[in-house]
Amino acid sequence: MESLRHILSPDFLLRNSVYTSVLIGFACPLVGVFLVLRRLVFIGVALPQIASTGIAIAFSVPMWLGLLQPEHAAHSEHLYAFAGSTFFSLGAILVMAFLERRGGGSIEGRLGTAYVVAAALSIIILSKNRYGEVGWLDLMKGEVITIDNFDLALTGVTLALVLAVLGLFHKEILFVSFDRAMAITLGKNILLWDIVLYLLIGLTVSMAVLSVGPLIAFGFLLIPALTSHQFARTMRQFTIAASCLGGVSSFAGFWIAYEYNLPVGPTDVVLLGVVFFLAFLAKKLWVAIIGSKAVKP
Amino acid sequence: MKEAIITLDNLAIGYDGQPVLSGISLSIARSSFTAILGANGSGKSTLLKTLLGLQSPVGGRMQIGALGVKPVFGYVPQAIQFDPLYPLTGFDVALMGTFGRVGPMKFPSRVEKDFVHECLRATAAEGFAREKFSRLSGGQKQRVLIARALATKPDILVLDEPTAGVDVAATKSLLEFISRIHAERNLTVLLVTHDLPLVRKHAQQIIWLHNGQVLHGTVAELFTRERMAEIFEMELI
Repeated sequence: MESLRHILSPDFLLRNSVYTSVLIGFACPLVGVFLVLRRLVFIGVALPQIASTGIAIAFSVPMWLGLLQPEHAAHSEHLYAFAGSTFFSLGAILVMAFLERRGGGSIEGRLGTAYVVAAALSIIILSKNRYGEVGWLDLMKGEVITIDNFDLALTGVTLALVLAVLGLFHKEILFVSFDRAMAITLGKNILLWDIVLYLLIGLTVSMAVLSVGPLIAFGFLLIPALTSHQFARTMRQFTIAASCLGGVSSFAGFWIAYEYNLPVGPTDVVLLGVVFFLAFLAKKLWVAIIGSKAVKP
Repeated sequence: MKEAIITLDNLAIGYDGQPVLSGISLSIARSSFTAILGANGSGKSTLLKTLLGLQSPVGGRMQIGALGVKPVFGYVPQAIQFDPLYPLTGFDVALMGTFGRVGPMKFPSRVEKDFVHECLRATAAEGFAREKFSRLSGGQKQRVLIARALATKPDILVLDEPTAGVDVAATKSLLEFISRIHAERNLTVLLVTHDLPLVRKHAQQIIWLHNGQVLHGTVAELFTRERMAEIFEMELI
């Protein structure tokens, strides 16, 4: 409990990391529910990896051109990273959306190829960058420890924007996802709403990757949504439960990591995995109990 | 003859510029009950999608409504096409019928929600509207989808095989219900089906897609012994 008091203290040295983790934990599942519903789970895997390749390129190209010195202020470094992450994730998701609309070919095949090429490209780029292994690899892995006020503000503003747009246009995004034909007959522009959703996913992923890395971003995008989906009866329950689970797990994960001196991001993901497994067992048990009651005379 | 709400003039329909059916010229009268019949692959769904604006015609002319006033379609797709992953209740699904009137950044008002409840009551779906849509039976889903179509306040009710996967009793009751709202609300009804006895009982007009041809006429004109023998290529006893 002593460590919990430390974490909750306003003077806690790593408070920005806690706030950022919790923000990401709350926000990622909000777009993750649409990845689950639209059966685009592979995008949740590929996109964070592509975003981290964007970070690697955004760091390395200005370095090679002599425009960025690694010892310079962290703000410009993070702005480069944010730009690279956002540009690549938005670009990739729009290309994927275009290919999906055109139809033909295997979506899973394209996403798998994009994932593996992006991962390989990141390694090549960083191996050719003499500063790559010093500090930037930490960022790529999702070093949640070194987050300054500027990064926290950037995360907060981006995720607030995502939340606002998602809240205002939830009805349209859900409608075109559930029944495209009906949406067209009622005059909805499905291309527009698809792009809005994809931009929200891209923006959230790029921010999450920048703050916590691709592995953890993927975990928060999908596991809370998959866990709450087992119990939700309505979209409202589904979305709120997924978001709360993400936020609470990220805080609990941070606490466990701090208590036992573990890496924060992987601890968060393992904790989410344990919660998912327990929820799965609870659901099975519930169904068995209800089922046995139903067959009794 | 009542005024036409849909007029097709030498229309060609198909995919990727390749016609499946061409030379379709017919008109559908306002407030009529028209059944679209045909074997699998005859172009029924393609015709329906073209009328609904889900795909462009390959050629010809199509006029929906009159003098630039576009009618509202109340579309009832096949219930099996919906992904069961969506955690939506029957009411949530029916509420989508109001989304054509409720623009972005707005939420359905109490009046709209009350109207949806009214539509659910009209289709006898109010009793299971709070249940998860994916867990409803085929007939219950169809009732919710018809309620959703009515919630659009439609000029034309379009039903794509609404009795597919529905048992005989529910099929009979559904068609009787559709017939009743057609009469009560003066709705134009377009029904795609394979069920000839029900078409004979409820429809006024028939569009029969057969061997690349489009036969259009009343039930009395098309359901003759000679025409049936010709369509089914067999001698009818």
